[in-house]
Amino acid sequence: MIDINLKRRSFLISSAAGLSSLVFARSGIAQGKEAVDLLNPSSPLVLPQNFSPSIWFTMESNGRTTVHIFRNEMGQHVGTALAQIVAEELGLSWEDVTIDYPQMDYTTINTYGPQLTGGSWSIFEEFDKLSRVSAAARQIILETGADLIGADIGDCLVEKSTVKDTIMGEKISFSEILSETVIDYEVSEEDLKEVTLKAKNDYSIIGRSVKSLDIPEKINGSARYAIDAHIPNMLYAKIIAPPKRMGSKIVSVNDDEAKKQVKGYITTLPINLPDQFLVGGFMTHMPLVIASSFPEAMRASKLIDVNWDNSACSTQSSQEAETEAFSSLKQKDNGKIFWKVGDYDTAKSSDNVREIERFYKTSMVAHAPMEPMSALVNFVDEKLHIYAGSQMGTMLPYLFAQFLQMKPEDIIYHPHLIGGGFGKRYEIEHIIMASMASIQLKKPVKLIFTREDDMAFAHPRTPSVQSLKSVLREDKCIGIMQSIACANMQLEVNPFFADMLHLPLVDGKVLEADDAVKHETYTLTGADNWYDIENQSVYHHRQTSIEKTIPCRAVRSVSNNYTVFALESFIDEVAYEIDEDPLALRLLNLRGKGVNKGAKKSDPLPTSFGGGKRLANVLKIASGLANYGRSDLPEGTSLGIAASGAETRYNPSFVACIAQVAVDKSSAAIDVQKLICAIDAGIIINPDGVKAQVEGSLMWGLSAALLEKMTLDNGHVAERNFDTYKWQNMTKIPEIEIHIVENGIHPSGVGEPATCVVAPAIGNAIFNATGVRLRSLPFSRQELFEGLDKKA
Amino acid sequence: MAKLKINGKSYFVGNEPDTPLLWVLREDLKLTGTKFGCGGGYCGACTVHVNGEAMRSCRIRVGDVENAIITTIEGLDPASNHPVQEAWLELQVPQCGYCQSGQIMQAAALLAENNDPSDEDIEISMRGNLCRCMTYHRIKNAIKKAGKEIRERSV
Repeated sequence: MIDINLKRRSFLISSAAGLSSLVFARSGIAQGKEAVDLLNPSSPLVLPQNFSPSIWFTMESNGRTTVHIFRNEMGQHVGTALAQIVAEELGLSWEDVTIDYPQMDYTTINTYGPQLTGGSWSIFEEFDKLSRVSAAARQIILETGADLIGADIGDCLVEKSTVKDTIMGEKISFSEILSETVIDYEVSEEDLKEVTLKAKNDYSIIGRSVKSLDIPEKINGSARYAIDAHIPNMLYAKIIAPPKRMGSKIVSVNDDEAKKQVKGYITTLPINLPDQFLVGGFMTHMPLVIASSFPEAMRASKLIDVNWDNSACSTQSSQEAETEAFSSLKQKDNGKIFWKVGDYDTAKSSDNVREIERFYKTSMVAHAPMEPMSALVNFVDEKLHIYAGSQMGTMLPYLFAQFLQMKPEDIIYHPHLIGGGFGKRYEIEHIIMASMASIQLKKPVKLIFTREDDMAFAHPRTPSVQSLKSVLREDKCIGIMQSIACANMQLEVNPFFADMLHLPLVDGKVLEADDAVKHETYTLTGADNWYDIENQSVYHHRQTSIEKTIPCRAVRSVSNNYTVFALESFIDEVAYEIDEDPLALRLLNLRGKGVNKGAKKSDPLPTSFGGGKRLANVLKIASGLANYGRSDLPEGTSLGIAASGAETRYNPSFVACIAQVAVDKSSAAIDVQKLICAIDAGIIINPDGVKAQVEGSLMWGLSAALLEKMTLDNGHVAERNFDTYKWQNMTKIPEIEIHIVENGIHPSGVGEPATCVVAPAIGNAIFNATGVRLRSLPFSRQELFEGLDKKA
Repeated sequence: MAKLKINGKSYFVGNEPDTPLLWVLREDLKLTGTKFGCGGGYCGACTVHVNGEAMRSCRIRVGDVENAIITTIEGLDPASNHPVQEAWLELQVPQCGYCQSGQIMQAAALLAENNDPSDEDIEISMRGNLCRCMTYHRIKNAIKKAGKEIRERSV
């Protein structure tokens, strides 16, 4: 966990003067001028100073408070939400709040912790700490203000950046307090334990849809993304994408034509990397074309002949990966256990039961952020300055030190806005390439991926093939077994991600057996569901052949997209088999029993408090909003439901989705008319911001359900631009209705969880409308057409 | 040397005539509000106005737009208060924001031609402007709101 590392310093409040001088001193404050009592020679001179009661924000004597944001802004408006937490507990007027994104060096991780941006963690991880730090600072300001106006602390309260004496009516603003005093105090860890937090009913900034602080600059062209970074005399770099996704080696480069024809062409750096760079698919060899402008780099790259050695490369295709997955699932070997409740095999061998099995598959999905990967790196005075947007945050100096054989203290990261993250900006090869070029050329180098380069360096969600089995006894489901064939994200090669490897969980307890295999949480998460079905097991069949072809990594809501698609489709199939209503079957098994109780309220992070009952609650809300069970829908139009507790069981946001889908039976056209979603993410900091994230998540889910398919062809990505990699545009967007639950429980995240429930809700609706079950993502109209044909 | 008229100013640029206008705007003139998304005209992130028409600057050769009136997001409104920008702010449209310059330019061109667009009009005009955060609902609503504002102003 994060080491707060706040040191107690002296508790020093040096006051300017007695009350008599305050009136005078105040006159200059509004403009933020120095407040000096010139009429009183014995008064110590007080220069207004900033007050930083903690490392997380700075209170300025001009009345402004700047909250320092170390999570990278990539559309989630994280800075606004974090600032709302600070403003609430500190007692600020929202108008007095600004944010900044400080640069990060090797010390930042020690002070601020890992500060990754992803996993829907930011608010989940920061809420309690920021609340407490701000509340402690409020107490200091309160005491100082009360002292300055000569009031009893007990009579005073903090409200809208002001300390008020509730008895006498006297007031003093934070600006005045900081102009007249120097407060030299840093909140300590002991303070954090003792603070009095606001009652949630008294929140006035948390829970309010304040306008996001990062939006104004995003509508007038002034927002700065990595691709906009600029240093005079910088050079431009463009890669030449290798013929295979991983492991192609450069034999020779011929740039004679580029030299002849392109004025601004400078050189090509044929970067063949040391072997350790290639582990886990983090890097691959590639030539870097350097020119004095980017158009010239693009022009030159077309004229350069590269002779490649592909002898060590995988030639796998998506079809081969799928065939391998099916054969692996059909072997006697169960794979590696990840999650177990009760005993599926015993349930299966008991009397009067039958077993059903269904197979599901999902294709690769790309991040495809609108901003292609880019980085400007300047190696100057032995220091490496990185101008980029990265979800790795404070880890970057250490990560780059490993790759570049440098000292972390020589690496400085200057964060920029991210033009779409979704997991893509955990990847770093573009920054490493730009760094190597800058070091070698002793000039600032800006590397820009074209869209084709960006797609050629895809880090897609792994394809998956899954087997779902169930043991049924009359009208009851007594066991579920989910077997998942897919690639790992290979996080094990990165020491920073070691704590994301987990031993299997058996009945809620960590399996300590010697032969237990550690799993990457985010490769299988979602299969460890909240249903009370008493016998469950989840197995992983790791496909290392895919890992040798393409690095499959974290794409928005990660594994939940395939595990939940299969499980939630299958729950409907089980309901059909035992002639039960799909909603009723879910509610029957969402009673928060045993391992599904969730965290205790006294736990340090009680985010999962309430467990399965909260999932039942959002299902009830969503089905109520949808008028579930309605009989007035036209023929061929139906509702389908799905629910999930993504991202993980540790930080779940409980989400239910109901899709209303119309299928045209003659053409098999799928029309998703409406998505109704209920989400319970605990305390809601900014309702409109949450709504925006859920809207985006639902649309991501829709796009993956109907359109998105990245494929491997002969060891490489087949789709290289948006003409072939299709995704959702403005047309045929469904109506969206979102209900946000408010319940005061410790917040989880909202950037991802609603993504994974959309595809199964649509698939279930298609089945309800037509009787045809689609088990592959993206849904194929051809498959539906053939299914309808068979029915007819 | 080409002479370009952008946002009411004249610029002389020395790029090869076949250089995409996008890169001249972004890297030579530092008008970085116009974004590079795909280079193929599929995504709309680089949309600017050429003689009032929304066009993809990644597909325009700089040699072909001499003497044309070019407007980028920076020049859409002197105070960034174009009704489309105001509606975008009011409805909190942008998430990551990267595509939004292009969205705003496309929407402004649509409304200049038709200030009361139907859902279908909006879809036809905007379908080539991709948003990976998928803020499409808000974009649609903001266009309607801006259209209403423009209609009221013109009464």
